[in-house]
Amino acid sequence: MLRVTNVRKVFESVRGSYVALDGVSLTVKDGEFVCLLGPSGCGKSTLLNILAGFEPVSGGNVTFGEAPITGPGRERVMFFQDAGSALLPWLSVEENIRFALRVRKMPKADWGGITDRYLEMVGLDAHRGKFPAELSGGMRQRLQIARGLAVEPNVLLMDEPFAALDALTRRRMHKVLLDIWQRIGKTIVFVTHDIAEAISLADRIAVMSVGPGSVITRVIEPDLPRPRDLADAKVARLFGEIEDLLTPDLVRLDERLEAH
Amino acid sequence: MSTAYGRQPGSAVETGDAPAPPRSWHAWIAHPAIRTPALTAASLLIAFCTWQVFSTYVFNPFLIPPPLEVFRTAIPMLASGEIASDVAISMLRVMVGFITGSLAGVVIGVLLGRVRLLHELLDPIIELLRYLSPTAMIPIAVIWFGIGEMSKYFLIFWGTFFIVLINTTAGVWRAPVTRQRAAACLGASRLQIFVLVVVPSAVPYIVTGMRVAMASSFMSIIPAEILAANSGIGYLLQQSSLLLQTNRIFVALLTICVLGFIVDRIFRLIVDKVLARYMSFVSQT
Repeated sequence: MLRVTNVRKVFESVRGSYVALDGVSLTVKDGEFVCLLGPSGCGKSTLLNILAGFEPVSGGNVTFGEAPITGPGRERVMFFQDAGSALLPWLSVEENIRFALRVRKMPKADWGGITDRYLEMVGLDAHRGKFPAELSGGMRQRLQIARGLAVEPNVLLMDEPFAALDALTRRRMHKVLLDIWQRIGKTIVFVTHDIAEAISLADRIAVMSVGPGSVITRVIEPDLPRPRDLADAKVARLFGEIEDLLTPDLVRLDERLEAH
Repeated sequence: MSTAYGRQPGSAVETGDAPAPPRSWHAWIAHPAIRTPALTAASLLIAFCTWQVFSTYVFNPFLIPPPLEVFRTAIPMLASGEIASDVAISMLRVMVGFITGSLAGVVIGVLLGRVRLLHELLDPIIELLRYLSPTAMIPIAVIWFGIGEMSKYFLIFWGTFFIVLINTTAGVWRAPVTRQRAAACLGASRLQIFVLVVVPSAVPYIVTGMRVAMASSFMSIIPAEILAANSGIGYLLQQSSLLLQTNRIFVALLTICVLGFIVDRIFRLIVDKVLARYMSFVSQT
């Protein structure tokens, strides 16, 4: 169980301090798929960085299980939007996975089997000798996913992993991710600004407000069977509902930008 | 505008319906495998001819000896091994100074890139010392080490060290945070992140620094040998100058050109063979 209690995050800089998060609370159950949804600048990536242990909280606390999160931990793996810079470009597809197994101190005898298993799971087994630069954006992202899964974490933290992909590839990646999630049953916290993406993926959608002082304004449970088709009336209604929820925030954001 | 974007002679619009014209006589030169060497040869040939004409008919051939004259001088110097031995001694000096300077530059550069306190303490000193070119250090090097080999090793080391150091530190700094964080998530220790992620990420910067340092070494060895040596290409220049042998001076100058070019090519070849996988992603973020 991942528990965020009343978290506050303040960034200090020479120009003063900026309150990014102000009293965010959220509980993610084991095996649950939660999307953090909000416009740019709502602090959703900040919250994810806190969950990953990259950033300390300024107030409140975050725990995984019983233990407070104080740094990157083996049970939580982050997946970055820019897979190209998260991967090691000087290592081949296969070597990138081996790198993960090596630093995770997996017994060497298991490397071959684990590598095969996860490369096959993301459909990259035919490309194991290629280098990341030789892969498409979608393939690079699949490699990052395979590498993260290979170290067998409990929680996948995903920071807009498909935002840089074209629409078709993105939809295919949604299917791949849902397949994997249903097969391995890990907890996923997935950051996105795309309402359709959140609806097609999540068990629960935590909608965040625009900063400063972002909070989770509402948690929505799209209790609909997957795959969720946007043309479906119920799905479309949910989309409209969330859009209405976000619009005042976007208007406020525009006004603030214009005021500057 | 109309010239740039509009109709051009021979454009597809005009020839679209006409039967394909016979391959023109110069089509073969468009092939890149032929084009580059052909143009390189042409460039050298033009330079050679211009030099020959100007030095024969315009300038005093004693001050600027014509190329044929220079080659006539070079042949016995090559045949007797005189040039080879000067080249060998200069190359040895460059290599010893370059390799030790690069090693020291990489090791200390990596440390400065990683240990913040060390950087804060040493950076002001480095920022001052790096303006002392090897040439500026010749007088003191002669006093410290005499005119033996050590003074030349030191001068090349001096020139190489700062260039490689500064590039290495920059490379270590620019190792993408995302890459380091991703490795941390997978379970890499701080040491593993440093050795397996940060240092390899810095390789393109280190190689660039070394290439610049190699060129600078070639520029530094000559004044060092002119002022403080009794062998090497610089010494050959110096002696020929004292005896007003402009032919021999030009032989020495040409030798430096060719040598620098060859060594840079060899360096690139080695980088391509050994470090290619670290270099191929330079254009990526």
